[in-house]
Amino acid sequence: MTEQFQVIAVIKGKGKAEAEEVKSVKDKKKEKTKGKKRKGGSDDDDDEDWADISRNMYKKAKKLPGQLENCEICNKRFTVTPYSKTGPDGGLLCSPCGRELAKDAATEKKPKTSTAGRKRRKVESDRLDGRVSIGAKSLQTLCIEKVAQHHQDLDELGDLPQDVVERLGEIFTKRRVMKPETLKLFLRGDLDRVVINDCAYLEIEDYEQIFAIASKADTFMFNNACQFQNRAMEYMTEKANNIRFLKLYAANLVSDEAWCSFFVQRGKDLEALKLQWLDASFDDETVRQLVESCQNLKRLKLYRCRRLGPEAIDAISCLPRLEHLSLQISQPVDCERLINLVSGVGENLRTLSLLRFEEADDTLLEAIHKHCSNLAKLRITDSDTITDVGFMNLFSDWSNPPLVQVDFSSTRDVDNSNPDGPEVPVGLADEGFKSLMTHSGEKLEKLNIVSCRHITTATFMDVFDGQKTYPELREIDISFCNTADTVVIAGILKTCPKLEKLVVFGCFNVESVVVPAGILFIGAPKAQDAIEQLGNSALNVEQALGGMLTMIQANA
Amino acid sequence: MAEENQQSDYVTLVSNDGFEFKVQRSAACIAGAIKKMLDPSNNFVEARENRCHFESINGIVLEKVCEYLYYAEKHKDAKDVPDMDLPPELCLELLMAADFLNC
Repeated sequence: MTEQFQVIAVIKGKGKAEAEEVKSVKDKKKEKTKGKKRKGGSDDDDDEDWADISRNMYKKAKKLPGQLENCEICNKRFTVTPYSKTGPDGGLLCSPCGRELAKDAATEKKPKTSTAGRKRRKVESDRLDGRVSIGAKSLQTLCIEKVAQHHQDLDELGDLPQDVVERLGEIFTKRRVMKPETLKLFLRGDLDRVVINDCAYLEIEDYEQIFAIASKADTFMFNNACQFQNRAMEYMTEKANNIRFLKLYAANLVSDEAWCSFFVQRGKDLEALKLQWLDASFDDETVRQLVESCQNLKRLKLYRCRRLGPEAIDAISCLPRLEHLSLQISQPVDCERLINLVSGVGENLRTLSLLRFEEADDTLLEAIHKHCSNLAKLRITDSDTITDVGFMNLFSDWSNPPLVQVDFSSTRDVDNSNPDGPEVPVGLADEGFKSLMTHSGEKLEKLNIVSCRHITTATFMDVFDGQKTYPELREIDISFCNTADTVVIAGILKTCPKLEKLVVFGCFNVESVVVPAGILFIGAPKAQDAIEQLGNSALNVEQALGGMLTMIQANA
Repeated sequence: MAEENQQSDYVTLVSNDGFEFKVQRSAACIAGAIKKMLDPSNNFVEARENRCHFESINGIVLEKVCEYLYYAEKHKDAKDVPDMDLPPELCLELLMAADFLNC
């Protein structure tokens, strides 16, 4: 008695619905045999199927769309549609019951989604961010993560130290559970700092609570404070008596008037102000009020404030006590205004960061050379007019002590009709880079020269020759400097004893690098290599260099 | 006698409710605070007696700490270490202890 025969017989004998039933049995049967890989013993299966079919033969045929049927659960009579659901016993359901069933099914299904893929992706992304360490996580980290996992069961955090509380806040933010209900965990009267990295869920009452409870704090940092409104601003002006440091990102509901009145009332104590992502308000006039009221400001950062224009630069140049200045302005700013700014505030500056001021040219560097003598951190990016000679002159005979952090990324000329770049190097090139390293090499900790396309291999070899040492250099990013090759990397490894992180995206001549212990090597362009490579714990620099040599010889 | 003790392989960690844990010195020194306590050059009583008494940590928490110390020692040079499982109800106390012990 073959199965095929049975099936045909049944199809002939019964209606369409039955035929489908049989088909599905047939499919099931197929699956079974697949699963068992035809291990024999199929007699039992045949019997089972036969029993199944014979049982189904006496069942009523399923109703077709348009026909009437009694619901399997509530027994109400309803019209069958193509969307009618099948109940637990195989009958049809009316639409309300069907919806209920679908809901239950959905809630059951949810926890099943596997997190394995996401975990792997997370690991890779952590690696690219450089968050890789050898060995176990610290007990503090483990605890903090666990606490964050069980955030809904927490009533209070107790007397945890401030940095632990802040770390916990960061993780809450990352998991998007920094909500009005959890916020109270982080508020204490004795805090001198309130740092909330994502305030998107916080509403005006929550801000009022923050300022009422932590009224003694002198530092308030709110990122993504999109619901921070005028009323919160007024409340802060009134309550936060000690405020000296304010960082507010994306607070677009605060009007210019509210800003001005805050500056007028609290400005004279304000030492640091960091604002980002302000689109709707905060214009040049507000900056003028800021400068007028906050003469004690030491730290100012304005990024992505869309309404700011060149006149804000003029205003800022009248803040004599400024020590840290970071600016990014979307509108074009003449170089004269920047020179004016540097001559106004340059003397005390320890940080000068001018992000994407495309009009900046050599005269700005001359002004920096002349007026700044306390800089530790310098960033000038995306200028396509500053020349190599300008950089060279900046670092020759400069009274400024060695810089600690340098970022000259993307100082280059891009022209599609002239892909090899101009004849005279634009941006940081050979001479500029050499004089930079001569001037700052002994103290430099972070170096970012992404896309400085005119630095030649010879210069890299000369700067990182394996003889000199740059004792403090910890992070180097030479991505898209196509001239850097494997030998340059070897040189860097040898010249920088404290190196922790080296980024080489787009350096296509870099291959077969053996990474020594403790160094994170990111962006090796060969596809078969892992994009991130963490140093092997057993290898020191010498051994790694030896390994590289043998690999290069083998390839040749 | 004291000189000999300093080189002993095991040290004793004592909780505030009197539980004593004998732990390998190498593992105990993973916690920065214990390492400093046991450093002979600091000349603490702990270093002389190879015994650390923790007034702020109870036995249950200290047991977990010891478990962690061994776990951390075992995975010292490994990459992608699986996280140790911690009972959630102990986490806050453990966090305070971890902060105190600097581990």
